[in-house]
Amino acid sequence: MVQVEGLTKLYGDFTAVNELSFAIQPGEVVGLVGPNGAGKTTTLRCLCGIIPPTRGTVRVCGHDIGTDAIAAKKQLAFLTDEPRLFDYLTVWQHLSFVARIYQVEGYEATGAALLEELELSGKRDALPGELSRGMKQKLAIACGLLHAPRVIYFDEPLTGLDPYGIRRMKDSIVKRARDGAAIVISSHLLHLVEEICTRILILKNGRKIADGTLAEVTQKFSESSGDASLEEIFFRATAEASPPPLPPVLPP
Amino acid sequence: MLAALFHLQYLSARNRLVTRFKRLKKPKYLFGAIVGGFYFYFYFFRYLFKGFGGGQSAGNLVISPEHQLLIESCAALALFIILLLAWIIPHERAALTFTEAEVAFLFPAPVSRRTLVHFKLMRSQLRILFSALLLTLFSRRFGGHVWIHAIGWWLLLSTMNLHFLGSSFTRTMLLDRGLSNRGRRLLILALVAGAGAGIWYWAKATLPPPTAADTADWDSIQVYAQQVFGSGPALYLLYPFQLIVRPFFAPDTATFFNALPAATLIFLLHYLWVIGSDVSFEEASLAASQKLAARVAAYRAGNWQGASAQKKQKPRRPWFQLSPTGPAVTALLWKNLLGVGQVLSPRLLIVFGIILGMFVYTMGGSIHGQNIAVIVEFAIAIILGYSLLLGPQLLRMDFRRNLSSADILKTFPLPGWQIALGEILAPVTVLAGVQWLLLLVGFALIFFLPGKYVTLSAVIGIGLIPLLPLLDFLLLLIPNATVLLFPSWVQAGKDSPRGIEATGQRLIFAVGQMLVLMLALLPAFAAFSAVYFPMKWALGPVMPIPFAALAAAVILGVEAWLGVMLLGKLFDRFDVTEEPGS
Repeated sequence: MVQVEGLTKLYGDFTAVNELSFAIQPGEVVGLVGPNGAGKTTTLRCLCGIIPPTRGTVRVCGHDIGTDAIAAKKQLAFLTDEPRLFDYLTVWQHLSFVARIYQVEGYEATGAALLEELELSGKRDALPGELSRGMKQKLAIACGLLHAPRVIYFDEPLTGLDPYGIRRMKDSIVKRARDGAAIVISSHLLHLVEEICTRILILKNGRKIADGTLAEVTQKFSESSGDASLEEIFFRATAEASPPPLPPVLPP
Repeated sequence: MLAALFHLQYLSARNRLVTRFKRLKKPKYLFGAIVGGFYFYFYFFRYLFKGFGGGQSAGNLVISPEHQLLIESCAALALFIILLLAWIIPHERAALTFTEAEVAFLFPAPVSRRTLVHFKLMRSQLRILFSALLLTLFSRRFGGHVWIHAIGWWLLLSTMNLHFLGSSFTRTMLLDRGLSNRGRRLLILALVAGAGAGIWYWAKATLPPPTAADTADWDSIQVYAQQVFGSGPALYLLYPFQLIVRPFFAPDTATFFNALPAATLIFLLHYLWVIGSDVSFEEASLAASQKLAARVAAYRAGNWQGASAQKKQKPRRPWFQLSPTGPAVTALLWKNLLGVGQVLSPRLLIVFGIILGMFVYTMGGSIHGQNIAVIVEFAIAIILGYSLLLGPQLLRMDFRRNLSSADILKTFPLPGWQIALGEILAPVTVLAGVQWLLLLVGFALIFFLPGKYVTLSAVIGIGLIPLLPLLDFLLLLIPNATVLLFPSWVQAGKDSPRGIEATGQRLIFAVGQMLVLMLALLPAFAAFSAVYFPMKWALGPVMPIPFAALAAAVILGVEAWLGVMLLGKLFDRFDVTEEPGS
């Protein structure tokens, strides 16, 4: 569903993403993890065609996002951690707008179902200014899912959601993967990644340092036992060196 | 404590200045600073320097002693009205506006209210000093000593600032004691009405009533006004306000120093009033600060409308229903038209058109022997000219406003030219709609024009029908292309630079855009000439105008199309990671 080959993004002399290659199959949920500045967001932005890669190719459902961007973009959705909405469009007007952009015929039924699923039915005529942070996030999600994308990229999808919203979001991701969508989740919430991702991709300084199922990654970085948590694996995989020893405690 | 807050102000100002100097290393700021510096020098500062050098300004306006009192009285009356409004209009509780950082650090800290008020006063002095400087640069052109103007403005603005603050505290206190906004307004209006009636009664009883001939003579009006203001109850009512403005109008040093003690005393009384008030303002200040932060964020994101519409937003009725299928460009037009707001809704335009239509059909008369319809036709021509000049600057619901959402636009499965077209169409639609409405009025007026103007007005109007939207399109293409080509130069995004260098940058771009526009208009002008002059031999000077305009419109249409393609390519290449204003 998604093929990435030699993806590289440079900002002047700085290499944000370095020779990244991987593929995602239908139904897979890939967790993209790494410390701050590892290149996760840049990678996602390249994957959905917001910024052009300096080198390498990204194919979405067989369409090169560099040369056949429109066909590729029709198949994907990118849901950011910070919901980006239009101040003067109501909840339903957002859906109408997105429906026209993606040419979603009969979007009314899908839109209503999505609003129901995301508990926004009562806010159809509300402007973003009247919505809470979590509701805005849900609206952004509804807009992203309206055209039934086959590839979905999530950047910190649980930010701003309440515990009910988090549970629904997780279920929704799993359900869409089960229905055949390829999903990438970039998150610092390692327990989320551990819980719902079928594969893990660890980035550091723009490079891929691990790619595989949790068991495979654990095996690669586990020092003694094979049952280490993703958190431990993450620290082992991304640590620069051993932390410096703590200074001795001075007597009072 | 106040010393710490003063230190905060000092450090903030110093660091801001250092940052601005440091960024002059970048050519875009350096050139901007040079051009902006020249601009400010030639338009403002050279007058100030001359003033300091020579003491007296080069202005020729000398106020005669007999007019001095009248001018002071008029200024006092204006000040009275401004300060009176501060007691009538506001309905909110007292709120000192702090930044969000100041709220976060100072409100939970062990800082007394009085200290917070002092801090607020101290900070407002920066703004007042800057305003006084600008106003002095302006007012000194009319004559008088520069330093007298500067101190006069400062005293006036500072006293007004204290009065606004003090009145907000007192209003809040009255609210807390059970006097509602409505009650307060009624009470004040009753007092004002009583004072007005007193003055009127006194004038009627004491002064000879002005005759019809007096009201037509400016000197007689002045004499009458001088009598009303110079004696009786008006004098007593306006006296404190006169004392405040008197230093500003002092013609010489001696008069200034004579007037200064009374004005200073009033200033000090205001200060004591403000400092002596103990009113809870924290909660209202918190809300005001959040509102301010949202407004600043909207301004910095280039969303001027959003910035002005922070108070209340309600869902807007779309200009048309959007179906899920059809050209996607329409969706962008639909969205951006929603952003125009209800101020310019189709319904309002229709109502406006009906009112104008009714107005047009009363056009039979004349003013000073000149046909009203001719005057209105000229006015329409002038408004159309200004709409071309100002319209593209005012209507910014295109890339200039939406550049901060460029990453969202880039995820849309649309080619760049469609996004570019969709972005530009909304301002073009609104502007062309208004212009065509004016043309319609112009056409309706033709029936009332003297015969010699009829044909000329009709053919110019017909020629403008295709030309105006295409000219709008071209005029909007240029700033949009500029935004995409030089995002860090143009003040479209967040953290846009301010100061002399930013003014210089704007000037550079204004000149650049004008040059590009002139170049773009050359081929259209050539096409116009190529059609007009040969036809002129056969049809005379008037009739070829629509045909020549059509030829020019074809060329403009081709240019507009090429421009959209170019703009689309620019958008495709636009790197959203480049921070505007950086």
